Amino acid sequence: MPPSLQIDLAPTHKTGLLVANPVMPASGTFSWGIEFAKQWGVNALGAVVSKGITMESRQGNRQPRVAQTPSGMLNSIGLQNIGIDKVITEMAPLWEKWDVPVIANIAADTVDEFGEMARMLDGVPGIAALELNISCPNVDSGGLEIGQNIDASARATRAAVRNTDLPVIVKLTPNVTDPVKLAVACEEAGAAAICAINTVLGMAIDIRARQPVLPRARGGLSGPAIKPIALRIVYDVANAVHVPVIGCGGIATGEDAIEFLMAGASAVQVGTATFANPRAPLDILDGMCAWMEANRVDDIRELIGAARPQRG
Amino acid sequence: MIIETATVLSTERAYEGTYITWFQGPGLSTNVEPGQFVMVHCSDEGVDPLFARAFSYHRVEKDRFALLYQVVGKGSGWLAQRQHGDLVRMYGPLGNGLRLPERPGNLLLIGGGVGIAPMVDMAERAVAAGHQVVAMMGARSAAHLLPASAWPREVEYVTVTEDGSAGPKGFVTQHLGKYQEWASKIYACGPNPMFIALADALRWNGRRQQPEILMEENMPCGWGMCYGCAIFTKHGVRLCCKDGPRFNLFDVF
Repeated sequence: MPPSLQIDLAPTHKTGLLVANPVMPASGTFSWGIEFAKQWGVNALGAVVSKGITMESRQGNRQPRVAQTPSGMLNSIGLQNIGIDKVITEMAPLWEKWDVPVIANIAADTVDEFGEMARMLDGVPGIAALELNISCPNVDSGGLEIGQNIDASARATRAAVRNTDLPVIVKLTPNVTDPVKLAVACEEAGAAAICAINTVLGMAIDIRARQPVLPRARGGLSGPAIKPIALRIVYDVANAVHVPVIGCGGIATGEDAIEFLMAGASAVQVGTATFANPRAPLDILDGMCAWMEANRVDDIRELIGAARPQRG
Repeated sequence: MIIETATVLSTERAYEGTYITWFQGPGLSTNVEPGQFVMVHCSDEGVDPLFARAFSYHRVEKDRFALLYQVVGKGSGWLAQRQHGDLVRMYGPLGNGLRLPERPGNLLLIGGGVGIAPMVDMAERAVAAGHQVVAMMGARSAAHLLPASAWPREVEYVTVTEDGSAGPKGFVTQHLGKYQEWASKIYACGPNPMFIALADALRWNGRRQQPEILMEENMPCGWGMCYGCAIFTKHGVRLCCKDGPRFNLFDVF
């Protein structure tokens, strides 16, 4: 019998967020899911997570937007997207036809705007949950400005939660001294789940030009290079909060995903791996199942937190 | 898109700093449009570089295809060392290729530097479809050009070099001359400064030829997932991989 992979990612929320398996794409690495749906189909995934949505459409940052690094990449895309109105009118109707829940990632400029965007997406057919992007390192306002401040993060969470019946996931930045405090504050503010982590601030320098490669100097580091950082934060956060944790950061194989589950994640997001391997989320899911079968694990829930210290 | 491990048939030096590698890969050789590209994993471990690199198809023959590329970094350097029998992971074909006119016409193909690469495939198809073809290729010197034998016999091959060692001296865009009037359709591939000069040269009487260009931008994923390869056009931001690499010259420059 194939292992049971189903899990509720919002058990404390009235509607919950039941996913058929714990593998989903990371926001900003999957566009709106349309290309993937055409190419391989999305219904085998646990969920789809949209690109970061802003109130107005955005052109994003100028080139170069990406710098490759060994085992990783720096990006400074700058939330290029079509804006919330078009997401509601053009994307949500497509998502509604899918069997897989779609999580809308919203990136507001201010705490209040998180509330407003949450209200706009509330009740839109085709959207199953919200993910608050308070951790984008590549924009002037919103993003890290909120996500590096515990009080602002909690207020953004509260603003969203009060304005929607959808479960609210908060995606945290690793670029703080203590992500656990952030996670706990967001949980207390009503987050149904915590996602960790967004990209790690980094940079690259063009030594011939004697200037940073990326136009904003800093960018977000992702890929296998950040996996140990992500794993440590997931482990710490999962130990401190009672809501599910969605692990993200450098996951490229089924074994990587298993590691995150054992650290305490209830699900995983696959991001940069999809740029290297167009089938990455599906291959990771297959790899995870194969590992479970080989190791006689019948239910995903047996793995969640398996490597965590026992709570007293 | 097909994900396939292609077998290297040969790698040869084409000219100064530039190599041609032939692969056998049936899926990757099927339904390829001229100007489309393939994403090639240019490393043994898949770690550095982490992503596949885009190469335009240079030639396609049955279940085989060739890539022509300049060695500029780790990835292309690795690829140039692949020999007969080596296996290389890749996925493609991707992007929107050049479109041949429905009726036979006079096609001017312009290539600058390694922008020559997709134009040989384009010339072969254009000739096969009954078009008259002039291939005008610009390079640094005679040592940086494909030999005339690389082009179909029916093609009039015109070269322009920066040092005047093969054909007139300067850039292709300075020597369009009679070909500009002759052409019913223009296609170009090369660096952005070439496109800027081409747009200037054609601005007043070249619009009727609706020049189609193949653009290049750093493409981590190649199929519209990462948004890394943004091209800022007059109609808004587009992705080079998914919306291009074919663009209308005057939409961008």
